[in-house]
Amino acid sequence: MYKLFLTLRYLRKRRIAYFAIAAVMLCVAMVLIVLSVMGGWLEMVKKQARGLLGDVIVDNRAYPGFPLYQEFIDAISTWPEIVKATPVIYTYGLFHFGQTEQSGMVRVVGVRLHDVYEVNAFKPSLFYERYYPGTTHLGEQGQPLGGWVPVIEGGHDSNTVILLPRLPSPYQDALEQARRQHAEHARQTGGDPLLRASDEVETPLSKALHEHDQPPIPGYYASNNDGDEPKITEDLRPGLILGRDIVAKRESDGRYDRYYPRGTLVDVTLLNTSIRARVDPVPILQRFRYVDDSRTGIYDIDSQHVYCDFDLLQKLLEMGPAARADGSGVAPARCSQIQIKVKGGLDGAALRKLTERLREKYLSFLDDPRFSLDLTDRKLISRIEAVTWQQSQAHIIAPVEKEKILVTILFGIISLVAVALILCILYMIVLQKTRDIGIVKALGGSSGGVALIFVIYGAAVGITGSILGTVFGTLVVKYINEIQDFLISINPRWRVWDLQVYSFDRIPSEVDPWDALFVVLAAIAASTIGSLAAAWRAGTMQPVEAIRHE
Amino acid sequence: MSEPLLLAEDLHRSYQMGRFELHVLRGCQLRLAAGEFIAIMGKSGSGKSTLLHILGALDVPQKGQVLFGGAPVFAPSQRRRLRTGLTDVFSAAERRRIQFRAHAFGFVFQFYHLLPELNVLENVLLTRMVGTPTWSWRTVRAAARRDALEVVTRVGLAERLKHRPNELSGGERQRVAIARALVHKPRILFADEPTGNLDAEAGRTIMELVAELHREGQTIVLVTHDPGIARYADRVLLLEEGRLRPAPPS
Repeated sequence: MYKLFLTLRYLRKRRIAYFAIAAVMLCVAMVLIVLSVMGGWLEMVKKQARGLLGDVIVDNRAYPGFPLYQEFIDAISTWPEIVKATPVIYTYGLFHFGQTEQSGMVRVVGVRLHDVYEVNAFKPSLFYERYYPGTTHLGEQGQPLGGWVPVIEGGHDSNTVILLPRLPSPYQDALEQARRQHAEHARQTGGDPLLRASDEVETPLSKALHEHDQPPIPGYYASNNDGDEPKITEDLRPGLILGRDIVAKRESDGRYDRYYPRGTLVDVTLLNTSIRARVDPVPILQRFRYVDDSRTGIYDIDSQHVYCDFDLLQKLLEMGPAARADGSGVAPARCSQIQIKVKGGLDGAALRKLTERLREKYLSFLDDPRFSLDLTDRKLISRIEAVTWQQSQAHIIAPVEKEKILVTILFGIISLVAVALILCILYMIVLQKTRDIGIVKALGGSSGGVALIFVIYGAAVGITGSILGTVFGTLVVKYINEIQDFLISINPRWRVWDLQVYSFDRIPSEVDPWDALFVVLAAIAASTIGSLAAAWRAGTMQPVEAIRHE
Repeated sequence: MSEPLLLAEDLHRSYQMGRFELHVLRGCQLRLAAGEFIAIMGKSGSGKSTLLHILGALDVPQKGQVLFGGAPVFAPSQRRRLRTGLTDVFSAAERRRIQFRAHAFGFVFQFYHLLPELNVLENVLLTRMVGTPTWSWRTVRAAARRDALEVVTRVGLAERLKHRPNELSGGERQRVAIARALVHKPRILFADEPTGNLDAEAGRTIMELVAELHREGQTIVLVTHDPGIARYADRVLLLEEGRLRPAPPS
C-alpha cells in the first residue's frame, strides 16, 4: 500500500515530475497528431483511389486492348453482385491550346460518360457539371459565350435598367436550376443558400455581377464580342474533359485560376497503333472543345489525363469492328479496360473471389463457338486479369502507407527523448530521495517494494502524460483546420497545409481510436521502461548506506 | 540464565577505505534480555552505529550471527556478500531480514529521518503501511490509524497531526520519530544518538520519554557518547577495539 501512497505523494509534491508529464504529454500529442493526419490522408487517398476506376477493373495490360468487351459486359450484367460495367479506352496523345500555345503529353481516356458516372466517382470530380448539371457532354457542341441582357434594377417599380452578364440557354437555365436546388437544400440543412464556387478565382464576369449585387457565374466563360446577346458558336466540335491541373493553376489557398474559358478549342494528336502494337507513322489529329475539368485529387491524374467519347476514340484508333486483312471474317471491337461497380459491402476476400470469377468468365469466351477469334485475339484475351481497386491502385496507396509508417517511426524515435527525460528525472529523484529510501527500508520496506515505487511512479507519469497528451492531441487534430485558418489570418505565409502541394482542401482531422490506444499504451510502456534504471538503483540500495547518505 | 531476547555472537565487520581495511567490529558479543535497557557508549568511529545497525538487521556482519528469540537473523550466504545483487533482492534471506525490521524492531535515528512530504500522522502511519501487505491494508487501516493517533498522543503531539516535519522543532521531530518507531509495537527499540542533535532541554524530554517506555516494559538498545544519557539505562556497555565490555562505573 505504501508504494502507491508514496508514489502519489511524490507525484504531487515533486514539481520536477510535472516536466516528465509535460514531456510525455507533448510526445503523445505529437505522435497522435502525425498518426491522425497521415492516417486521414491515407484514408482520403484510398477513398479517392476507389472512386477513380470503380471496384473491379478488367484489363490485359496490352496497348491494343482486348475484344468481346460488350459481350462480357452483357453477360455479367445479369450477375447479382454487378451494378454496372463500362468499357474504357486508353491511349497517349499530345494536346495543344492554340490560344496560348500550351501543349503537353497526356493520357487520353475514352469513356461512355453516363455509364462512368454510375461506375466511379468521376461525376463529382467535374467542375462545370456541378454548377451546370446536364451541360457536360462529350458530343459535338459549340462554345457558350456570355452576353449582356437588360435587367431592371431594384424591382419592377424602378425605372433603372442595367445590363447584366448572362449565359446562353441551356447553360443559364441549368445554373438557375442548380441554384434553386442548392437553396432548397440549404433551407433544410441551414447552410449558405447562395451557390458559389469557393474554389475558383474571381473572373471579370463574376466581378461585374458582384458589383451589382448579383450572384456569381461559376467558372470562366468567354464573352460574345459580336453582339450583346449570349449565344453558342456554330463551330461544333466533340467535347473533351481535361484534368484540372492542365487548365488551371492551383493557388496556395486551394482556389483555381482557370486559363481558358469553357468551350475553348483544343487539338489532340493521338498515337495510333495496330492490333500488333505497331505505331502508325501517320498520327491522328482531332480538334475538341474544352467542356469541363476534372479533379480527382491525385495530381498525376489531374495533370496528365483528358477524357473524350469512347465511340469517337474507338473510331479514331480503329479499334471498332473491322474486316480482317486475311479475309477470315470481322475482327471484333476492342477496348483497353472494363470498369465495374459492384454492390455495396462487397470488399476484401469476397471482392477478390469475384475477380477470379470474372476472369474465368472472360477466359470461357476462348472456347465459346459463337465467337470467331484469330490467334491475336486469343492471345489478347488470354492476358486478361480482373483486379480489385486496391490492387489496381496499389501504386498510389502504397507510398502513402509507407510514408505513414515511416513518419510514425521517426516521431516515435523522437519520442524516445521523453523516455530519456523520464529516466533522468526519476534517477535524479532517487538520488534526492536516497535517505527516504533508507528509511522505508529501515521500516521494513523490501527492495522489490522500494523499486516498485519508482516503477509505479514512471507508469503514473506515463498514464497522466498520455491522458493529457491524448486530450491535447485530439483537440489539436479536431480543430487543426481552424488553427491553420487562425494562423493564416495573422500571416498568410504561416499556411502549413499548402494547397499547391497537397491535393486535399482540408487537413485530415479524424482521430482513429485504435491509433490513440496504441500511442497511449506505447507511452505508458516507454515511461515505465524509463523508470527501470532508477527503480533498480533504489531497490538495490543498502538501507545503511542510504540512511548515512549526505 | 533465561533465554535472551537478542543474542549477538562473534560479530565482525570491516570497511574498505581505499587500500586499507578498517576493522570496526572484531568478535563483538551481546546478550539482551527482554525488558532490558542497555546503552552502548564509545568514541566517535568506534563502531557503535555499525553494531546497532547489525543488531537491528539493517546491516550484515561479515562473520558472526545475531539470534532473535533463538532464531538467526542472517543467512550464512548473506554474511559473505555485503552488496545487494539481483538474487539477493528477492531472496528468502532478504525477506527474513525485512520481516525482523518490519515487525520486531523499531529505529530512532539521530537526525530523525522523517519523510518531508508526509505530515506527522502519515510519517507514523507509514510504519504500519510498510509492514502490512497491500491486500490486507483495507482491513487494518482503521486500527492502524487508531494506533498511530494513540502513539502520537502518547508523545504529546496530538495537536500537530497535520504538520509537516519542517514545521516542527528538533525535539518534536524526534518525538515523531519515536512514535513512528513504536506504532507497530516492536519487541526492541534501537535508538542511535537520539538526543545528539537536540539542545539539553529537548534531549532531557526525549530521554524521559524513553525511560518511561522502558518502565512500561519496552526493550531498548541505545547508542550514545554522552554519559548523562547513558545513565538512563539499566546497563552501560563500552565499545572499544571492536568488542563490548561493561563500562566502568562513573
